[in-house]
Amino acid sequence: MNCCSGCLYSIQLSFRRFKQAASDVFEMLGLWHSTLKVIEGKFGSSILSYFVFLKWLLLFNIFSFIVNFSFITIPQFVDMPLNNLSFSGLELLTGAGYFEKTVLYYGFYTNDTIRKEANLAPYNMQLAYIFTIGLYLSTCFLILLFSMAKSFRKNFINPASFTGNAAKLLCSWDFSINNEKAVKLKKKYLSTQIKETLSEALLKKIKLPTSQKLARLAIHSVTWIISIGLAVGCCAGVYFLCVHVEGSTQNSSLNELTKQAATLLVPVVVSLINLILPLVYAMFGLVEKFKYPHHEIYVVIIRNILLKISIVGILCYYWLQKIAESNLECWESYVGQDIYRLVVIDFLFVLLGSFFGEFLRHIIGTCCCKKLGIPEFDIARNVLDLIYAQTLAWIGIFFSPLLPLIQMIKLFIIFYVKRVSLMMNCIPPRTAWRASQMTTVFIFLLFFPSFAGVLCVIGVIVWRRIPSKTCGPFRNLLSPYESIDNWMDQITFFENAKWVVWIYHNLVESVLFFYILTIIVLIISYLYWQIVQGRRIMVKHLFEQIANEGKDKKFLIQELHKAQKPNSQSIHEDQDMQLVNVALSLPIESRRESTLALIMRARQQADLEEESPPMIRKMPNNIRTMAQPNMAGQQAERDTEHPNYIAEPLGAIKVVTKVNERSLYEKDQPRHNERSSNVMEMVMRARQQAEYEEQ
Amino acid sequence: MGNKQTIFTDEQLDAYQDCTFFTRKEILRLHERFYELAPNIVPMDYTDDPDVKLPIQLIINMPELMENPFKERIVQAFSEDGEGNLSFNDFVDMFSVMSEMAPRELKAIYAFKIYDFNTDNFICKSDLEKTLNKLTREELEEEEVTLVCEKVIEEADMDGDGKLAFADFENMISKAPDFLSTFHIRI
Repeated sequence: MNCCSGCLYSIQLSFRRFKQAASDVFEMLGLWHSTLKVIEGKFGSSILSYFVFLKWLLLFNIFSFIVNFSFITIPQFVDMPLNNLSFSGLELLTGAGYFEKTVLYYGFYTNDTIRKEANLAPYNMQLAYIFTIGLYLSTCFLILLFSMAKSFRKNFINPASFTGNAAKLLCSWDFSINNEKAVKLKKKYLSTQIKETLSEALLKKIKLPTSQKLARLAIHSVTWIISIGLAVGCCAGVYFLCVHVEGSTQNSSLNELTKQAATLLVPVVVSLINLILPLVYAMFGLVEKFKYPHHEIYVVIIRNILLKISIVGILCYYWLQKIAESNLECWESYVGQDIYRLVVIDFLFVLLGSFFGEFLRHIIGTCCCKKLGIPEFDIARNVLDLIYAQTLAWIGIFFSPLLPLIQMIKLFIIFYVKRVSLMMNCIPPRTAWRASQMTTVFIFLLFFPSFAGVLCVIGVIVWRRIPSKTCGPFRNLLSPYESIDNWMDQITFFENAKWVVWIYHNLVESVLFFYILTIIVLIISYLYWQIVQGRRIMVKHLFEQIANEGKDKKFLIQELHKAQKPNSQSIHEDQDMQLVNVALSLPIESRRESTLALIMRARQQADLEEESPPMIRKMPNNIRTMAQPNMAGQQAERDTEHPNYIAEPLGAIKVVTKVNERSLYEKDQPRHNERSSNVMEMVMRARQQAEYEEQ
Repeated sequence: MGNKQTIFTDEQLDAYQDCTFFTRKEILRLHERFYELAPNIVPMDYTDDPDVKLPIQLIINMPELMENPFKERIVQAFSEDGEGNLSFNDFVDMFSVMSEMAPRELKAIYAFKIYDFNTDNFICKSDLEKTLNKLTREELEEEEVTLVCEKVIEEADMDGDGKLAFADFENMISKAPDFLSTFHIRI
């Protein structure tokens, strides 16, 4: 046994050491440690959460770039046709022209197996392409899922009860702030916040009349209708603009430069919408006047995400329905270029946004119009911009495998621009920003509409769309997925790959297997849901128990104070009345019984003590405890009709006698009040334990 | 590597790693910080566990703590003698608990100690008043202070004894997800 636990311990220890060593390595990778520290020290953990999110996305893209580059691009370098297109510089913006014939786009990749030397194994480009992207997306899926689950577990333990004053006072101080100005600012915000809550608490008691309630409801519905209408209008506009631009670029009467400039129209319009509409939504907040600030934050986030996702959705629809079905020479590269332009132009707008939105606003706020003040750093808007950009980058990964590189550079620059802009121009947000809950929400948003949507789009492309006939790794196939089918047909002839083929035919391709899998998952989730419900009830009961114990404690303290006074019969009667009252007020039948029994015994014990000569009272503790088994035995005999409760009275009595004993001891000690409350703690513990055992 | 002076033996570093949430490099960085606080008191060589304690005045002048309204309480909570004198072990302990990796339960224990100004193992009204005054630059009226403190106790006190025991405090912390990220000092 000993050896076993020792072994286990040493395994645990070595595992921990290994983890430490791994974290040592990760620490070296940990970018911007000191920068983040400075930001946190100056602006607190809420703003830090934005930068941490940005860094997280950057790591995602670095990983994706490494995977794509090493498994798709490097093999392609081996087998590369010459590129004789000219490079003028405008291509950096449009992504067309010279870049069309580079590894940046899908169309450039070959559908052959690459074989540099005869004795090396061939490299099948089709499979490499589809497996790399598939594996990358599934890794992303798992990482997102786990970080989301972890963050939910950590931060959404009980979201409803967060809005307390207690938490505000004792958990709100940001220990990481170490900048004098920031500390002053934070203190100021806190005192105004506390004042606001106090006045709110008074206001809450006044109920709004029905007419005002109706007016409020009307305002909310009108703003919702307007914001959804705006989003729908923008989507329709973007769609028709796309169709129109595509038609005009096919028109050969225009010269090359105009054509290229025309392709930039859609991305600019989309970025403008993304820049302007959130401001309009923010203006609605002035009209709506939400009761709680966090409602406003959530509503603004929902509206913005609806807008962004529907614009991306309409673009995807356009690409998959119009472009993929058209007779373009290489529609995948065309879509890749579109996405490239969207990513690049969005980047430029983010830069412009921080210049105009933050820098100019700062100048206006400090010099011209003092009433506006220094701008606050809008975490929600900035994070949503990041989510939008990441969605585009994910969609583009199929059409342009090196897009993560662009995204990487973009995020890297944004980090520095935002840092400088924050340091020079902004102040932290005034309202309490629930950083950890918001981080959870953002990871969820990144997972749910964003990543799930990307998976759908890629799924449609892989299973349902016919690849271009003349370019890309999947040329001449009916769908990219067919490449796997073909591969399976090839390896059927290898004896030791039989199991792969079997798995493919019986599990991957079988509907029945997925049907059963789904049912199992549903059953498991139902079971877990039921367990959660059960736990909830349990928690409720435990809370009740704590409240009851509080009552017991109060009562026992009273009891103690009375026991310290000179004994008289009348007090005894009072006590007994109280004992019965308290016992009856307890809700659960068994508890009432046991409490009554306990109290009765406690009383008897107390009487015993009083009758016993003072000598015994002054006996040292150990002797008295030795005497207790006898008394306990007598109790046990009386308890035969409640065999289950024997353990309980024993423990309780010991403690109660000790209480009595000590209280008598401490009569002439000056600090006895304090001590007796400690003794009460012991009583409580004993009670608690007894009740546990009982249950 | 050869010329570098050994500060800790390998066993010591392993022990520190096992007892804290830091890596070797961070332990060495912490030692450097500790050394910088008082170069003439703190030895460079820690291989024989010298018994060196730095007084509270030196510790609270670290840039990480200087502006913190609870700086004295933090240092006192982590010092073995309760007066605020920190040995290197206490010092490492302090930043380990305040690090990102420390679990909620551990942080809660020390947060409770920090807010318990009169060290009676309860957060009572006077403790709350002190906390509030430290947090708000003493801008609030006296009535407001008492009102807030009453509300806090009413809200968080589950057993009705008019003050917050550790169990009450822990329960409250468990409902405040931000606590983990705000009770945190980056070293």
